[in-house]
This record gives sequence, structure tokens and C-alpha cells, in this order.
Amino acid sequence: MFFIGGAAAVMMRLHLIEPAGALVQPETYNKLFTMHGVVMVFFFLIPSIPATLGNFLVPMMIGARDLAFPRLNLLSWYVYITGAAFTLYALISGGVDTGWTFYTPLSSHYLNTHVITTALGVFITGFSSILTGLNFIVTIHKMRAPGMTWKRMPLFLWSIYAASVIFVLATPVLAIALFLVGLERIFHVGIFDPAIGGDPVLFQHLFWFYSHPAVYIMILPGMGVVSELVTCFSKKKPFGYIFIAYSSLAIAVFSFLVWGHHLFVSSQSVYAGFISSALSFALAIPSAIKVFNWTATLYKGSISYQAPMLYALGFIGLFTMGGLTGLFLASLATGVHLHDTYFVIAHFHYIMVGGAVMAYLGGIHFWWPKITGRLYHDGWARFAALVIFVGFNLTFFPQYMLGYLGMPRRYAVYPAEFQVLDVMSSAGASHTRRRLLDSIRLSSLVHPLWTRSRIESLERERPGMGDAIAASHR
Amino acid sequence: MALEITGIAIPSLICIFLFLWGASLFFAAAQSPQGAMAIFVVGKQWMWHLQHPEGPREINQLHIPVDVPVRLTMTSEDVIHDFFVPAFRMKMDVVPGRYTSEWFEATKPGSYHLFCAQYCGTLHSGMTGTIEVMSLTGYAQWLRENSTAESMAQMGLQLFSRLGCDTCHLSDGTGAGPALQGRFGKQVTLRDGQNRVMDGAYVRQSILDPASLPLPNYRPVMPTFRGQVSEEHILQLIAYIKSLASGERTQAP
Amino acid sequence: MNEENPSVETYIVVFVALLILAALTTGIAYINLGTLNTVVALAIAAVKMSLVGLFFMHLWYSRGLTRIVVLAGFFWLALMVLFTLADVFSRSWIKPPGP
Repeated sequence: MFFIGGAAAVMMRLHLIEPAGALVQPETYNKLFTMHGVVMVFFFLIPSIPATLGNFLVPMMIGARDLAFPRLNLLSWYVYITGAAFTLYALISGGVDTGWTFYTPLSSHYLNTHVITTALGVFITGFSSILTGLNFIVTIHKMRAPGMTWKRMPLFLWSIYAASVIFVLATPVLAIALFLVGLERIFHVGIFDPAIGGDPVLFQHLFWFYSHPAVYIMILPGMGVVSELVTCFSKKKPFGYIFIAYSSLAIAVFSFLVWGHHLFVSSQSVYAGFISSALSFALAIPSAIKVFNWTATLYKGSISYQAPMLYALGFIGLFTMGGLTGLFLASLATGVHLHDTYFVIAHFHYIMVGGAVMAYLGGIHFWWPKITGRLYHDGWARFAALVIFVGFNLTFFPQYMLGYLGMPRRYAVYPAEFQVLDVMSSAGASHTRRRLLDSIRLSSLVHPLWTRSRIESLERERPGMGDAIAASHR
Repeated sequence: MALEITGIAIPSLICIFLFLWGASLFFAAAQSPQGAMAIFVVGKQWMWHLQHPEGPREINQLHIPVDVPVRLTMTSEDVIHDFFVPAFRMKMDVVPGRYTSEWFEATKPGSYHLFCAQYCGTLHSGMTGTIEVMSLTGYAQWLRENSTAESMAQMGLQLFSRLGCDTCHLSDGTGAGPALQGRFGKQVTLRDGQNRVMDGAYVRQSILDPASLPLPNYRPVMPTFRGQVSEEHILQLIAYIKSLASGERTQAP
Repeated sequence: MNEENPSVETYIVVFVALLILAALTTGIAYINLGTLNTVVALAIAAVKMSLVGLFFMHLWYSRGLTRIVVLAGFFWLALMVLFTLADVFSRSWIKPPGP
């Protein structure tokens, strides 16, 4: 799924080399960005870390044999495949052009593309998320090994736990919102379309009640991974363990209260905007706590720059940039100007790609030997990490400037004055994409033909891996 | 410890400052100054219809004078659009079924981009235009050159009789519907005791869904005009009904 | 698990109660109570929901963590409704002069 979403992204960037659009019709462009959004958000970012690293590490880290409900876990995988199949069908049979946000009444009344199929795919995949979240919560509550108290749990578990809480509490709301869109499309029940008595802004409330917490579903596990990596490679205890742990929970709780900042210009009440802005600033506190504590962990540590650590350091830098630009969006006056521009795109790609994907790659590299028993080629992996970092910045940094200058998002054609920055961004994108593929192929999938003996030396090198994982493994 | 406290306090103070600064500007932007020049906007897949109260209509282009606060009253014929002028740092969704507004005061003559910032379908990226900011004299001249025979209120008056509104809403109050003279901006008490102010939104609702606003002393006989009037028509009808309230007499030209 | 299972009779009684309440909702829909319409309908729905939760979902017999989890769910639902309504009700506080 990641490759499909990625391909759509590259197509879009190539298309935007020319102001008038170089490659495709606006309609196709709209389908591309919708597919990119839907696939990346619902089928890659949300399940990536929980489904791979989570399912593998959660039982190991708490010393359990498996998750609490192994069969439920398998079911959630099948459910995911079913949902993905629906979405892929929509893609193959003509695509959908609502944007991943499915805003009404555009999605519920005005488009003739495969809205229902896509929404159904996302709806079904939502169940997979809920089941996984439920599984993690129960496992962490009930199946910790004797002596594995809450305060001794690896930080990754705290973040997975926080993300699971969001999974369980938020996903049903998205499911219902999409279900209502379907209901309105098929049976013309007036819920969101004002022409038949609905309220279009209600959909935005319901959608963002899920989708704002959802970005924390994506980033929280990434934060957990980075907490582990930083601790391991600076060979120190995590600085302020309890703060990192509780800040995960604080993020989970606060994330439900700030969705109003997606609605600053939606004709929402200015007072509601005021409150969500204040709460969004408050949400910066737990995120900042994490960054401060990672930095403090690094401080005076004996740092070894192996590939996973490079990803982790990249994460910290990019996440900080993404987070700080978030303050501009959370602030009401600047938020109005930057809303729905490329600034927003750059902001959430810094968090999602610079954050979640970097953490995912770092985590995969870090635990790759644990999962497969083989080691990747460290030189290639370091090279890939650096190249991704450079390419990523080249892609998305110009987009901050584009957004500030006022280029709106989801534009297939744009005024000529934005071309220079757009070309820079496109060059970065194709570069990143190729390197990203390289990194995955070369470092992880093709090259890990190293012997088991390397693993043992590895565990000597990396004390962090020794802790709970090794204990459970023995 | 002292280091940590400073480390926490300084960013917090900066945050609080940014928040309050942003919020105060936001509230200022939400309330248009008295006497702002009114412009009416209807978003439609995929173009902007704009109308000056004096009558001239424009598509994807808006001529305004410099140094005069301009207030846009906006609504949409179909999906959600967003009226975004990057140079003025202004953006507001244009939502079907309700009126939203934004205001700005251009400080430099010139030509500025107008974008639709809320994804609205296939030709979303084609839903752009320009704001032409002109000097005061230039604008007065433009208005003369583009003047229409009728103002918005006069167009409303014509609609009022063409749609047959005037057969029931007689000015002496003896018709099947209430007289509309002097009512705009006043309070209306509905049959269930609810109080509403008769503003643009109220007029719009009573045109499109009269059954939802039953009045005491009147039988609910008014049919809906949904499908017969466009959003632009409704804005003109509102302009007419508003002109009835202020006492000025709108006459057919 | 410190749960005792409810008897079959309990299930039947609850089921009948739900049916009666459903009939009540339908019946009341024919009587116009003005603003009370929605209130009554929602109240009946709340009672039905509690019955299902307490007996069919065994909450009556559960303790501790299970209850906390359920209450958390309701708490979050309340948050969602509260914040959405906060927007709806405060929209008219700043009223720009109408069109």
C-alpha cells in the first residue's frame, strides 16, 4: 500500500513541475491526491508501527507469550486486507476524488466517483484498528510478567498503549461519520447536505474528532520507537522516564480536545476556535516534554551513530520543526492565513514522514535482527538514512515557503510565480522516493544475509536490546 | 533545577504571548468595522459570482477601492468553497445554506490573487480570480462605467413581484402574509414562542423553508421557493426587504 | 473474571422491557409534545441503552476496570457532543450585521 501511495505522490509532484500541470488532467490529479491521502493515512501510517513492531514487540516487552487475543489479531489482519481490497477496487475501477477528508456535501451529493467503495474500505479497516487497539490494551493490562510493573515498562509500550486508547475511542466516530455519508448518498437522508436539511460543518466536527487524534495514533508509536532508540544508542537511562511515559497519555487525552483547530475558517464559532487554539497550544507541552527529554538523554551520552540512531536523530529534528510550525497553525491569526495552504502540507509531512516514517524505518532497522535473525548492511542503511533526510527536507521545506506565499493545497494548476519552489519540491520528491526504495531494498530486504553470530555481538553492542526483550526471549 | 524552570517558563511565556496575540487578531477579524463597503459573494462549482449593492455583477473578479474596509457576505450554491486572498491574509469558508463573512481593507492598489482554498471538486484549482484594488477615483469611475440599470434592492423588488411575493405580503398588512415594511432587523416571535431576529439568514430560511418558521396569526400557506430562486436572487430579495426597513423607498427604475 | 452470569429469565425480562420501550417510542411519535418530542425520545433511548449495557453486556455484574473502561467511553462521547454543541451555541454570540 505504501508503494501505491508513494507512486501517487510522485505523480503529483511531477505533475506540478509546470504551472499549468505537466502530466494529468485536474480530475486525475484530484484522484491522485485522494488516493495518496487515503492510502497513506488509513492503510500505511495508522497501521504501520502498531501492526508490525507493535504486534511483535508488545508481548515480548511485557514477557507474555502472545497478545491477549491472538485470533482476534489474525482477524484484524484479514479485516485490514478486506478494507484495503475495497479501496484498491475503487482505485482500479476509476478512482475517487473527494480528498481524504471526504468533506460534505461534496462527497455526499456532488461527486460521481467511487465514494461509497472507498468509504466502505476505510470503514472496514477501522474495525481492524479497533481490534488491534483493544488487543494491546488488554494485553498490557492483564498479561504483564511478574515484576513488570507499569513504571518499569519500556517506553514504547506506554506510547503504544496511549495510541491504542485513541484507536478504541476515536475510530468508531470516523466509522459513523463515513456511514452517515453513505446513508446520505444512497438514501438522501438529510444529515450533512444543507439542501435537505443537514449541516455540512457537523461532518467536519465528526471527521476531525477522529482524524485529529488519528495523527497521534500515527506519531505516538513513532515517539515510542524513538524513545527506545535514543536510550539504546546513547547508552544511558532515559532522562525523565516518568515524564515521557505520562506525556504519551497526556497527548492521547488532549488530542481529543483540539479538533476545532481544523475548523478555524469553517464558519465555526469564534469562541470555539478560541478554545481549540488554546488547547492546541496546551498540546504542545507534552510534545515538547518528549523532545526535551530525548535531548537530555542524548546529553553526555556516548552516542553511536548507527543506522537506527540516524533515523531517530532525524526524527527528533524533523518532528521539532513540524511541531513548531504547528504552533503557527494553532495560533488563530496565522492559522487563518495558512489554513489549507502548502504550509499545512509541509507541517503534517514533517510530522508524518519526518516523524512517523523515520521512526518506522528506524524501528524496523533496529529490530530487524530480532525479527529475522539477520542483520542488514549497516553502511548502506546509514547512507539511506542520510539520503532520505536530505531528500525529505528538499521536498517539504520549499512547501513551507509556498504555503506562506499563499499557494492553496489540492491545486492541479497554479500561478506561475510559485514555479521555482514547486520544482525544488518535485526534485526533492523524486530523489527521496528513489532513495527510500533503495533503503528498503538494499538495507533491509536484500542485504540482510549476515550470520547469526553477528546478532550475539550486536546484543553486546546494544545494551538497550538486552533488557526486557532478551529477558523474554531466553 | 533553576535551568529546568527557565527552560519551561520561557517557551511557555512565548506560547502564551503568541496565543493571545493570535486570538486578539482573530477576534478583530471576525467583526467588521461599522460602515464597511458591502460585497456579496456566491461560490458555485467552479466560479465566483460577486455583486456590488449598487448593482454591478462580476465573475472571478472583484473591483474594490483602496483604503476602504470591504465586507464580504458569502454563501455557496453547492459545496463548501473558501474565499482566500493571500495578500490580505484573509480566508473564510463559503458554506452552502448559511452566510459567512469576512472583511479586509486593501492598503495598496494593485491586482491580487483570489483562490478557492477549500477543495470543491474537479476544477477546484481553476476556481481562482483577481481582486483589483483601485484608487478611490478609479473605483468611482469603474462603478460608473459598469453601472447597471438597477441596484440590488431594485432587482429584489422585481423578483418580489415576479415570484408573486407581493400578492400575499401586502404593504398594508391585510394579505395572507405579514407586511414586510420596517420589519428587517426587528425581533419576530414564532408560534412556539421562540424569538428570532429577522436578519438575512431568517429571510433566506423563510423563502426556502417557510414551514419551519410558523408565525402566530398567519396560516402556514406559503410554499417553498427552493429551486425557483438562486442564492444570488435570495441576496437581492434580502437587499430589497432590508431597504424596506430603512424607510428608503425602492422603486422600479 | 469475577462475573456471575445473569439467568435466562433476566434476559427475557430485559428483552420484553426493551420491546415495550420500543413500542412506547413508536406510540409517542404520534403525539405532538412540542419541544418535549426530542427529550422524551432521547430519554427512552437512554433507558434502552442502559438496559442493554447493564444486562446484555454484563456491566451490572462487572467491577473495576471494565466499568472504568465503559465510563471512559461515555466520557469521551460527552466530550465530543459538548465541544460540537459549544460551537453550535456560541456561533451567534458574535453576530456580524446580516446581509
